[in-house]
Amino acid sequence: MKHPSQATLALQAGGDLGFLARWRTQHHLRSCERCRAEVEAFATARRIASDLAEIPELPWNRLAAEMKANIHLGLSAGECVRHGERPVRETPLFAGARAIVAVAGIAALLVTGIVLERPAPVTTAVADDGMVVQATSRGIQVRKGGQELRLNNPNELTPKDTVLYAPDAQGSMRARYVDPESGYVTINNVYAE
Amino acid sequence: MRNNFLKLAASASLVAAVLSAQEAPLPGGSVNINLPKDSPVALLAMQSDQSRTTMRGAAMVIDLHMALRLRNSGPNHIHGVTLRVVSQEVTMGGKGSVTIPSLNIAPGDVFPVRIDMQLVRPTQVAGGPLVAIDLDGVLFDNLGFYGPDHLNSRRYLTACELEAQRDRDYFKRVFAQSGKEGLRRAMIDSLSLQAEMQPLTVKVRRGGAAVTAAATAGQTTRFAFVRIPGSPVEPVQGSAVVSGNEARMPFVEVRNTASRSVKYVEVGWVVRDQAGHEYLAGSLPSTSLNLSAGDTARVSQDSTLSFTMGNQPVNIREMTGFVTQVEFADGKVWVPARQSLDDPLLRKVMGPSAEEQRLSDLYRRKGIDALVEELKKY
Repeated sequence: MKHPSQATLALQAGGDLGFLARWRTQHHLRSCERCRAEVEAFATARRIASDLAEIPELPWNRLAAEMKANIHLGLSAGECVRHGERPVRETPLFAGARAIVAVAGIAALLVTGIVLERPAPVTTAVADDGMVVQATSRGIQVRKGGQELRLNNPNELTPKDTVLYAPDAQGSMRARYVDPESGYVTINNVYAE
Repeated sequence: MRNNFLKLAASASLVAAVLSAQEAPLPGGSVNINLPKDSPVALLAMQSDQSRTTMRGAAMVIDLHMALRLRNSGPNHIHGVTLRVVSQEVTMGGKGSVTIPSLNIAPGDVFPVRIDMQLVRPTQVAGGPLVAIDLDGVLFDNLGFYGPDHLNSRRYLTACELEAQRDRDYFKRVFAQSGKEGLRRAMIDSLSLQAEMQPLTVKVRRGGAAVTAAATAGQTTRFAFVRIPGSPVEPVQGSAVVSGNEARMPFVEVRNTASRSVKYVEVGWVVRDQAGHEYLAGSLPSTSLNLSAGDTARVSQDSTLSFTMGNQPVNIREMTGFVTQVEFADGKVWVPARQSLDDPLLRKVMGPSAEEQRLSDLYRRKGIDALVEELKKY
């Protein structure tokens, strides 16, 4: 039988464990009477401490010190009893379902990155602090540092549709296309001014 | 085994929940549309329910999909509209615009304008409207103009309208002389040229400092020029500092050969790479000029342009310039005549006008009869 550590049981008694650790510890407690008793002891100690807080005439500091000492004593005793027992995690960290979940997580992260990074700019990025206007795979943009303003071409455009890009040396860029919905020529323009 | 499957499903659900939690609809009041009280266009409706905000690390990505319905509330036909799109919090003054040229909207008629934009900004920026949309200008059929014209929309819409009139006249002549078959051939030629155009990717960076270390030591490359018949301004000389696929600090000296003063000149810019391929690299616009008859002036920009194609640098071997647009001091605009664009180089690298693009698209989608009907409207 694999037992949680005393610290884990103490945190369980106070409801301070994280979601996964709490679920794992509760799963263990269902089949381990000894650990259940220890958790109960910790819980009782917490209740006593809480009750003491409501009785101001008691020597609070002394009682708190005693409680701390008792907890330390319990922890030390528990560690002595557990000497030589197997650790909680005996199987390899990445095996079976854990490995599948880890791989799925990485895949989801990659897909998320790809989705968030679209559209991929046509040109290679250049590191500079100045304002830059350029055409991208979906339209035109003006950017400076981490800020961007893009005017995108309609998603309905097909490879048969002509999009004409016209930069000027003053620092502006035009994209001209025929809007498939309205049939009107539309000219988007970004300016680095 | 079943437990393992349940664990996997639970993990996937958790990831999906985290992903969906990152996306949110656009808060109310995010878009502010400003039309003056005496505006010749009125906003009938604005739909933006597909807009979303998404967190990307420490930045917020705002996808704005706006469908506007505007009505011509004035007495004249509208032939062009420009809306200015400003996000004060983004790109430190960077802005955009959406222009619809080649319109023919009668008084009382309704027309749509679609704006698809994306903003990326730091999350710590304060609240308020994300985007302000202003009317920058409206061009009427008589070339009259309304609007604050912050973006020089008057000049641009007028040039588009002159090109539209020029190209409609050209295709009407083709139809009159050669019938539907001639018009069909002209449309197929236009579509073929559009399909053959090389999609050069240009990045413009303001300031003449080199973008890459390789470009710090460039050499001065002189422009060759194509003379456009009837142009009121002639290029005299010009050059740029070229290194690899970057050109810095371009300038062209121009002379006013007309009898009127000129306040704006735009020079088209073609580059030829090491393999002899030619591309329209962009244009070199002047700032505000006061160029009297016979005088010369320098058209220059303190910027760096880099050219790539398919992520491969396009190294510049030669450059050619030609005058594409002139605005006189009285506000009148000159654009090249249709026959001027028959120069083999210009024919190959210059795209169609906005109107030719619209007409050829109409032919491609709806056929020759629809195109003939459209030309008859003018």
